[in-house]
Amino acid sequence: MTRTFAVSLIIPDNEAFTAYETLARLGVPAARVVRSDIWLFEVAPEAAETLASSVAQIETLYNPNKHRLVERTSDAPEPGEVWVASRDEAPATRIAGRALPGVTGIRRRTSWRLLDEAGQDIGQSDRDRAVATFLCNPAFQVAIT
Amino acid sequence: MTPQVAVVVFPGTNSEDETLRALHAVGLEAELVHWSAPESLARFDAYVLPGGFAYEDRIRAGAVAAYDAVMDPVIEGAQAGKLVLGICNGAQILAEAGLVPGTAGVRRPTAAFAPNASGRFQSVHVHVKLVVAPERVPILAGIEPGAVIPGWASHGDGRLAAPANELERIVSDGHLAFVYADRDGNQVPAPNGAALDCAGLVNRAGNVLAIMPHPERDAWTYQHIDGSRDAARGDTAATLAPSGGIRFFEHFARAVRGQVMA
Repeated sequence: MTRTFAVSLIIPDNEAFTAYETLARLGVPAARVVRSDIWLFEVAPEAAETLASSVAQIETLYNPNKHRLVERTSDAPEPGEVWVASRDEAPATRIAGRALPGVTGIRRRTSWRLLDEAGQDIGQSDRDRAVATFLCNPAFQVAIT
Repeated sequence: MTPQVAVVVFPGTNSEDETLRALHAVGLEAELVHWSAPESLARFDAYVLPGGFAYEDRIRAGAVAAYDAVMDPVIEGAQAGKLVLGICNGAQILAEAGLVPGTAGVRRPTAAFAPNASGRFQSVHVHVKLVVAPERVPILAGIEPGAVIPGWASHGDGRLAAPANELERIVSDGHLAFVYADRDGNQVPAPNGAALDCAGLVNRAGNVLAIMPHPERDAWTYQHIDGSRDAARGDTAATLAPSGGIRFFEHFARAVRGQVMA
């Protein structure tokens, strides 16, 4: 089974701000850019219940002073969200050098949300333009919506 | 008229000084131009994008820099036939800017120097071999067929990645300029897992070259990894003598001078 976790910064996200600045230069009408790391774990059912606590102990992935760790209920992007992944990604079996109990595959995505002044997702055409021109390099990445 | 070369510095660039030193060593007049001064770039005859981590490699290596305003005159210059050399992070920027291989247009990348297959930053001494005819790389004027250049591959994102049809085009249209090789010029697997064992790409016109390993870090004998460095130990002049990497810049200098003379 797949378990999905989102890790986002609770301190200012410089990378998201840099993305915002570049997108502004490209004329994309986003007032705010929100970025998260998405981790997808293929895990044996008997190990699924303890996975969240195992993930929370990987300090290079999650530092409670810097990050928010949320378990998602779906292994697909939420409405308005774009995930960018490497096209040729092979699932890893270790994370930060560690194997996790019952985990047979780990995949990583970068989640992007582009919000307007009201905190709503910008229009799909603007979002698609942001993805096609900047957030995803189709030479080796794929955008998942 | 003395040709002028700009070494373009982004926030996060870290190889500008040794690149400048190599350019000066081959007799070029070169100076650093920071990202905050894009308006000063037009007067230069050639551009070098050095190594480092422009914008901390945020989003993707080279992606933010490719859209920086300072790249506008570089792109315009490349389109006008000026020489543009990108080393390591500079190579990543050129790929993200769509200048190499340059098969789809500006800022429409068709290839990338993606994260290493190992998933880690690697720093290893390497050699690269020219695998196109010298006529395909006028940016390296006078380079001999099959030239072998030493350098240091120091990057976390140096693996050429592209769709299969684009890789075929890179080969068939002569965009694959350099591959990893041993010191005798025998092709070897890329240490980063790059497709085609690619170490460098050139555009169609041959005036834009992206090379991942750093020849400027093997410009002097003390930086080289073989018996010559050991033999030079204790002899200051020999230690500071030019090494193989400086040849790369000699060819670049010849091209810059030739272009200005023309």
